[in-house]
Amino acid sequence: MILLVDMDAFFASVEQAHHPHLSGRAVIVCGDPSRRGVVTAASYEARPFGVRAGMPLAEAKRLCPNAEYVEGNPRKYVEKSLELLEMFLEITPDVEPFSVDEAFLDLKRLPGRGQTLESATEIARELQQRIWDRHGLGASIGVGTNKLIAKMASGVQKPRGITTLDEEKFRGVFWPQDVQALWGVGPKMSEHLKALGIATVGALAHAPRPVMEERFGVVGEHLIEAAWGRDRTAVIPYHEGVDPKSMGHEVTLPEDCRDPEFLEGTLLRLSDQVARRLRTDGFRGRTVTVKLRDFRFRTITRQRAIGIAIDDHGGIFEVARALWRENWKGEPVRLLGVSVSALEHTSEAQTELFAERERTKALQEAVDKVRDKLGEASIVPAGSLAHRRSLGHVPFGAVSGRTAIDRRAKEGYGDGADPSAPDPTQLKPRLPREE
Amino acid sequence: MFESHNDPVDVLTAFVDGSMRPIRFRWQGRIVRVRRVTGQWARREGQAVLRYFAVQGSRDDSYELCYDARGPSWVLSRAWTGPA
Repeated sequence: MILLVDMDAFFASVEQAHHPHLSGRAVIVCGDPSRRGVVTAASYEARPFGVRAGMPLAEAKRLCPNAEYVEGNPRKYVEKSLELLEMFLEITPDVEPFSVDEAFLDLKRLPGRGQTLESATEIARELQQRIWDRHGLGASIGVGTNKLIAKMASGVQKPRGITTLDEEKFRGVFWPQDVQALWGVGPKMSEHLKALGIATVGALAHAPRPVMEERFGVVGEHLIEAAWGRDRTAVIPYHEGVDPKSMGHEVTLPEDCRDPEFLEGTLLRLSDQVARRLRTDGFRGRTVTVKLRDFRFRTITRQRAIGIAIDDHGGIFEVARALWRENWKGEPVRLLGVSVSALEHTSEAQTELFAERERTKALQEAVDKVRDKLGEASIVPAGSLAHRRSLGHVPFGAVSGRTAIDRRAKEGYGDGADPSAPDPTQLKPRLPREE
Repeated sequence: MFESHNDPVDVLTAFVDGSMRPIRFRWQGRIVRVRRVTGQWARREGQAVLRYFAVQGSRDDSYELCYDARGPSWVLSRAWTGPA
């Protein structure tokens, strides 16, 4: 049997657990609440007002003006996610983290327990209570005979629900529902299916296989199997790991912008962030994608495959900028993103022997060493400085500690500091203003 | 509402069983007694590890404190100052 643990309104719930006076109140987690952006997460108390993740913050404030708007802190949530992961591993070694707030638990190796739906449901109930007792967080758990059923069951009763389904019950619950309710069917696929007259999960289960295969290839067969509640995908334990498919960063700009210098500076900064992540995790990529959302909320993504696998910001930026220049029509831009996909491990990637590449590699290694020692904000591409100044903060969330250190120096604190330790305040003259 | 401060603060700290815990701190001229540590997390900044604590004061006031071993020093990074 398999469990899918889905933490309820995870980011907002962590804030409520850390700050108990927020319990029972509408909490909306976002970027800097004084700036423009989108809702990252909304507590269940905020949802009746119509607030949803991904909604522009301005709209959320209109719908729910009395909510508590809290600036999110990814590190805080990742840490909590790891604590939860440790708790799951107390139950079974076969845990697959599916996202920061979801994990599959395979119970097949548990001695004497978890082999029936009843027993698995009992484990789910204990786990749900333990999460609440230890962390003060709500979780909804799906119990199923495979990953697909567990995943879809987890969404049936929220928050703090437990739903147990076998294949037959799965069909009873989901066959009458819109085809988009099926895990893996997004809005686009839903449109294609509806164009074929397939509007519900049940209709998909009974769709003619030759038609589906002709129209969607192997995916067509997979979709029909999924509609029947069949899934042979194994839980991939945490310790075996799964390589990422892509890495990317995106940013909602403080205001709609049509200044090419600023926008290209932003692309450079994003390219630098992506490159740093690739190198830190030991990957290179062969495809660069640019995402652009204009002031009308129209979003386009454009990608280009390149001959060699790269992990340097210059190479990524070059491709991103070319894509950008080809596709930007001069309209005000709201959001920009850069990502790299078709990843391969650095050790497997073909190395370039050209001297220029060697120089770039040496430069990257030197920059990485400085950042490893002094932090991400200690050295950045000069072309992205306009972007940093305009945003008024240092990306990577590195501002708080450094700002504090600067302030301490200004206010005469710092007695007793280790003289051999690197002094970040020494970097201040070279850094743009952070406040 | 939450307010960001990044104010240096003096914190009376207990080190027990290999872990640290803020006991009370002085901020804006008053002493805040930590009634409960409600959360902890850490963030790396270069080689330095910044340790954060979400804490509740005795009047259900709420704060986030950051310990930077490089100082060593404490900073009050956020405070909840009442309903918005």
